Formats: sequence, structure tokens, C-alpha cells
Amino acid sequence: MNAINRRSFLKLSTRLSVLLGLGASAIPRVAEALDELSQGLAPVLWLQGQCCSGCSVSLLDSEAVTPYKLLTRYISLGFHQTLSAATGDQAVQVVNKIVNQGGYVLIVEGAVPDKMPQACMFGEEPFAEQLVRAAGKAKIILTAGTCSCYGGVPAAENNPTGAVSVPAFLKGRGIAVPVIRVPGCPIHPDWLVGTVVHALKFGLPPVDGLGRPLAYFSKSMHEQCPRFNDYEREHFAKTFGENGCLFKLGCAGPITYTDCNLRGWNGGVNSCIRAGAPCIGCGGENFCAQAGFPLITKERAAETTKADA
Amino acid sequence: MNKTIKLSPVTRIEGHLGIKVEVEDGRVARAYVSGEMFRGFETLLRGRDPLDAQYITQRICGVCPIDHGMASVLAQDMAYQLTPPDNGRIIRNLTQAANFIASHITHFYLLSALDFVDVAMITEYQGKDRALLDLQAWVKAQLSSRQVYPAAPFLPRYATKYLADKDANFGALKHYMDALEIRSQAHKMGALFAGKMPHAASLVPGGVTAKATSLNISQYRTLLEPIQDFINQSYLPDVLAVAGAFPEYFSLAQGCGNFLTYGVFPESADGAAKFLPGGARVKGKWQKLDPEAVTEDVGQSRFSSASGRKPFDGETVAAPDKSGAYSWLKAPRYQGEPMEVGPLARVLAAYQDGGNAEMKGAVDQLLKTLGRDATALASVMGRHAARALECKLLADRCAVWLDQLTPEAPAFKDFSIPESGRGYGLTEAARGALGHWLDIKNKKIANYQCVVPTTWNCSPRDDHGVAGPVEQALVGVAIADAENPIEAARVVRSFDPCLACAVH
Repeated sequence: MNAINRRSFLKLSTRLSVLLGLGASAIPRVAEALDELSQGLAPVLWLQGQCCSGCSVSLLDSEAVTPYKLLTRYISLGFHQTLSAATGDQAVQVVNKIVNQGGYVLIVEGAVPDKMPQACMFGEEPFAEQLVRAAGKAKIILTAGTCSCYGGVPAAENNPTGAVSVPAFLKGRGIAVPVIRVPGCPIHPDWLVGTVVHALKFGLPPVDGLGRPLAYFSKSMHEQCPRFNDYEREHFAKTFGENGCLFKLGCAGPITYTDCNLRGWNGGVNSCIRAGAPCIGCGGENFCAQAGFPLITKERAAETTKADA
Repeated sequence: MNKTIKLSPVTRIEGHLGIKVEVEDGRVARAYVSGEMFRGFETLLRGRDPLDAQYITQRICGVCPIDHGMASVLAQDMAYQLTPPDNGRIIRNLTQAANFIASHITHFYLLSALDFVDVAMITEYQGKDRALLDLQAWVKAQLSSRQVYPAAPFLPRYATKYLADKDANFGALKHYMDALEIRSQAHKMGALFAGKMPHAASLVPGGVTAKATSLNISQYRTLLEPIQDFINQSYLPDVLAVAGAFPEYFSLAQGCGNFLTYGVFPESADGAAKFLPGGARVKGKWQKLDPEAVTEDVGQSRFSSASGRKPFDGETVAAPDKSGAYSWLKAPRYQGEPMEVGPLARVLAAYQDGGNAEMKGAVDQLLKTLGRDATALASVMGRHAARALECKLLADRCAVWLDQLTPEAPAFKDFSIPESGRGYGLTEAARGALGHWLDIKNKKIANYQCVVPTTWNCSPRDDHGVAGPVEQALVGVAIADAENPIEAARVVRSFDPCLACAVH
């Protein structure tokens, strides 16, 4: 590695240490981790089940570590359906050879159609079977996004494919590989990048009972809400586009444990609440689960208005 | 060579796609396109609150979520008889345009470029560009490492003839790296009004929850200018360079010859005037758009529901083991015909409409540069060129829309959900015509049907055995090497397929 590379490398390590909340003393260890990764000692395999690729797209929006740096410095991405040059049989061979080798970090995007295996195929093989093979040989499994973590939209009530989350599916198949859940619809790129590097170098990050890294998922949206004072003063928005707490429009902030309000999206330029939209709880374990539980509503505000009159 | 070649999965598209081509005497005689992933959005939406729709349908696709959100709020606007305030309409346009721009740039560089550009040539680079030297160091280190697949995900790839011109190649490689950042800047631009991208928070019936402020208007403009520069100085020249090096792709994959666009980016309060107009070319003749002409067949699709229905009465009942069915996609038809949708359809519609002088001038200029007439546009290269051209004109238009915003003005018109009602939302995704049809009963969704761009393009055969547009485009394509069927991959990718969308 030449001098320029080394310098920018250390700069990245510093940035990543900050991102991970590890402090300056961890910089050399992070640098070492990245060095190892760049030599391909810890390959990453990315598989897609019933997904929309939104988590992959969101990952490409990463700023703390740009996607190009991520691919060439941080991880060795053996296969990704949306990015890999290999196509057709060649793609199948690539995945199979990586799986046979084992010892990779497996990132899974999307749910598993447990009752309808034909509803997601990779070449000639049902995704469910591919996942069983790949999970068994993984060093660690990281579920990226709400579909993969909890089932999400594909597993919503009345879904026809019997979709389940990756942890639920693997448990059903008796596969016991540690799973870290990084939910979100989509994932925030910081959550995924930070978790991957932590897992590779420092082992499993501190997680809660659902396997979510505490660094990102330990406080509710409500606690960190820019409109928290409106809630305290009982100043509620009665319809969209108004100032005030969005609780009566169905905001799921109090039951959603993500740090969107502090972190901000797309380089921190905005967030759902800052854009005047109630939190729909897309990072929560029950996102879209029940048909009778609306994501946003005008009814609650309308009832209040009626009561006030 | 007589042989059946399977490309499954086709990577560097969105989602799970399989292609089967039957090659006779070295050319594709028949092609079969299969969508391989199904979630059942239309089924799980039934019985839900209509306001769930613009959020849930965005999750159909992470590449074009805003377009699904738009189709959904347009359908609800119609059902609730709403007209958004000007700011609401313009903010929606700016959000959707940001998604288009990100998608087009992603498509050319991240999804298509590796079919033409030679990554391995970077080892021969002798210049001083830091980013390229960086890439060179990485590729060299990878090639001498003990990686199972060095330089993944860029290698391995099909063995074929790639771009030979070194400068054009190095330029495109550098722009590939730039594109990664530019596309995320486009998303950031959209997030200024959407809250976040992908999967926007602020789209609601009646407009948007976000407000235009002098700050976010200027932020959008600040982000837009480097994107415009990238389109003009990198994207368009790279497309022309690739087009120059692979001229045979101007006469390849003409497709079905029918084109459909619903039109997009409303520029009047009633939505009638659009920046890109709607229209349909059926059997060689352009005609006015008729939403009633859309039906969906399922004869060869994995559904047991009724075939040939109009979307308002459409059904989606999965039948994974249905005999003779080979795709999870339905087969949408317009007046019974398969239709190509996408940037090419939009550019051709605007060109023949003539109302958009800039578009007319830009297409004429492009054809002059290429030394070809308009018929050459229905081709692999024509689709790439139309996409790049649209990207440029759209980015330029965003600057005009920003000037039309009034800071702090209302962007939302209040509504209440009726006991019953119907509406459809016709718009465009980056990759083509997108429609949502909504039927409300007892304030809940009674039926919801999506007819999606890639459902049109990657449609399987219909009940009459007529092949879909991509299936038709593949016929006649010469495959030089059955082990490396790059020609078929190039044809398929020129349509920018999005399979999560297509099946939903």
C-alpha cells in the first residue's frame, strides 16, 4: 500500500472509530481490521430473498464510508445480485464456491417464503434451500432490513407466501449460527456498516434481546424527537403539514427503537419527522404485521377535534 | 449452433430474473423471460387502511419507491377528489425526479457498464489520477491475493470483447466511482423533501407533509448543479463512447415496436399538462392514451385468477404449481398488444408530440451526433441514449421547478377518506409506465392492483401465445458463444428490468 493509501486508510479508520463510538484508542485496531479485510481475510456474501433491494440501495447511499471504499477497503464482497459482474451459471458457481469455502459473513436481505418455496428462486434452487446451505457455513449472519429481521411487508397479515424472518426460518431448520439483526425499512447505511466492521474485528456488538446492536436501537424515536416538547405541551398536529406532535396522526415514535431522529437520513439532511411525516415504525418488529393497525391515521386526530368542539 | 441457454439469475438488474433462449443456427429463435420472486402485495393490501398504500407499495421496490408512492397518492387523490396545492405538486415532482436521476445513473454505471467497460484494463493504467491509481492498486492486490474470487464483485465476468479504447475505458471506470457518489447525492436531494430515500415518508394524498423553505430549496439547487455537470460531462459522453465502440447494438433488439407512456411530472394544477406527455404507439401509429385499454392476462403466469381483466377488476391468486406457467409476472396488454415502456417510450412520445421544444432539439442533436435517424433508437444503444438524454433534460427541469416553489406555502390539501370510492394513479417510474388501481369499500382497501413497468417489458406470453417485449427483442440476436451469452445479457439490461416491481 503506498503512502497516500495508508494516509487515507488511517483517516477512514478514524472516521469509523467515531462512527462506532469506540474513541481514539481503537483507531489502530480498526485500521488493522480494515487491513485484514482488504486482504480478503473476511469475505462477505450477500443474498437476497423476498426483498425490494431497498437495503442495498440505502447501503449505496452510505456517507460515513462511501460505497466504493466499502467495496475496496472494508469488505470483500464475494457476491451481490445487484452488483456482481457474474451472471447466470457463473453467478451460481460463484455463490456455491464461496459457500463451500465457508467462514464468511452472511448478509441476508429479504424474508423467506416458508410455505411457498417457488416464490423465491436463485437459478434452479429455491432461495430457502440456498439460505440453509449458506447459513450453515457462515461465521456470522447479519440480517439487513426489517423483512430479513422480522418478516416485514412480505410477512404482513394475509400474505400468500407464508413469509417469515430469517432468524425464524433458521430456527425452524435447526441452524444455530449467531444472528445480528439490523432492522429498518430500509436499513440506515451507518447501522449496517458500523455493525459489519464491529462484528468482524471486535466480535458481536452489544445487542438487546432481539439481537439488535445497542449503539443504534436502544432509544425510542419519541425520546429523541425534535417535536418532543410539543408532546409535553400537548400541542398535537391535527392533520398533515401542521406543526405539533404527530402522535394523533398515528406516529409510532414511542414504540420504535431507532436513532433516525438524531442521526438523520441521507447524510443527515432530513428524517421522516423533520419532513412532517409520522414515524410508521418501519424499523419495528411489528411493522405492517397486522392489517387492522394502520401505519398512519386521521381518525385519532378527528375524534379529538370532535371532542374539543 | 442449436442449443437452449439459460441465464438464471440475471444479475445487475433489480431482483430475481431468469432468461431462457433457444438458439438455432447461432441466433435466438425463441426467448422466455421469467420472474422468480413473488410476495403478494395486492393480496396483503386488501382490508387495510387506504393510507397504508403509499407506504406499503413503496416497499414493492427499493430502486423506484417514489414512483410507487406517487402512483398510490395519485390514485387516492382521484378517489378523494383532491387537487394538491401548487407547492405539493412541485415538491412531488422534485422528489420523483431525484429518484429518476439516481436510478438512471445507477442503471448505466452500476448495472450496465460492466457489460461494456473493461475493469481488468486498469492494471495497464499509467496516468496520475488518484482514484484510478487507487483502483489499480486494489485490483492488483486482489489478483495476487488468495481470494476465492479476486476483485469481486467486478470479476469474474463473461469472456468477451470489452471496450478497447484505453482512454474511454479509464474515463468510464473513473466515472463509475464518481457515479456511486453522484447517485447518492441525487437521493440526498430527494430526501430534502421526502424525509428519507429510498422509501419516502412525506408523500400523502393531497400533496406532501414537507414544506418548501428557502433553505431546502437552496440545498436542492446546490446538490443539483454537480449532478447536472456529471450528466453533461460524464454520463452522456460515456454513453456516446460506448455507442461508438459497439455500433452493432444500434441495430439489435428492436423489440415489439409498440410503445406506451402514461406521461409524468404534471405542470398544471389539474395534472393535464405534463413535462413528459403520455401516449401510445400501437402497430406503428401514435394515439391518445386510453387507460381503459389496459388488461392483464395470466394464461402462462403462476396465477389461477381470471385472465384478461381490467385492473379495477383484477385479481391476484397465486398458483405456484400451475401447469404451463413459467413466470410470476402477469402479461399486461394495451388494446391486446404487448407494449414497450421506459425512457425510450417517453422520449419517442415527447418527440412525436413536439410540444417540448427542448426535447425535440435534444433528440435531433443526439441523432446528428450519432449520424443515425430516429428508427435507430429502438435498439440496445438507443435505450441507453434515451435514458441519458432524459436524465439531462429532467435535471435541467428541476432547476425550473425550484424557481416555481413559494417558500412556506401550503403543500397539502386536507381530506377525509370516503366510505367508498375508486381511483387510479398513472405515472412513470424510471423504467416505464406505472399504474395503481384502488377500490375502497367501508373505508378500507377492497381491491388494489399494480401494473408495473417491468411487468410490461418482461411480460411472459399472453393467452394468445404472443411473446412479451423483451422476449421479442431477444429473437434474432446472434449468440457467438453459448458459454458467454453476453449479447442476451446486454439486450435484457438495456430495458433496466426491475423484478421486485414486476411481480410485487
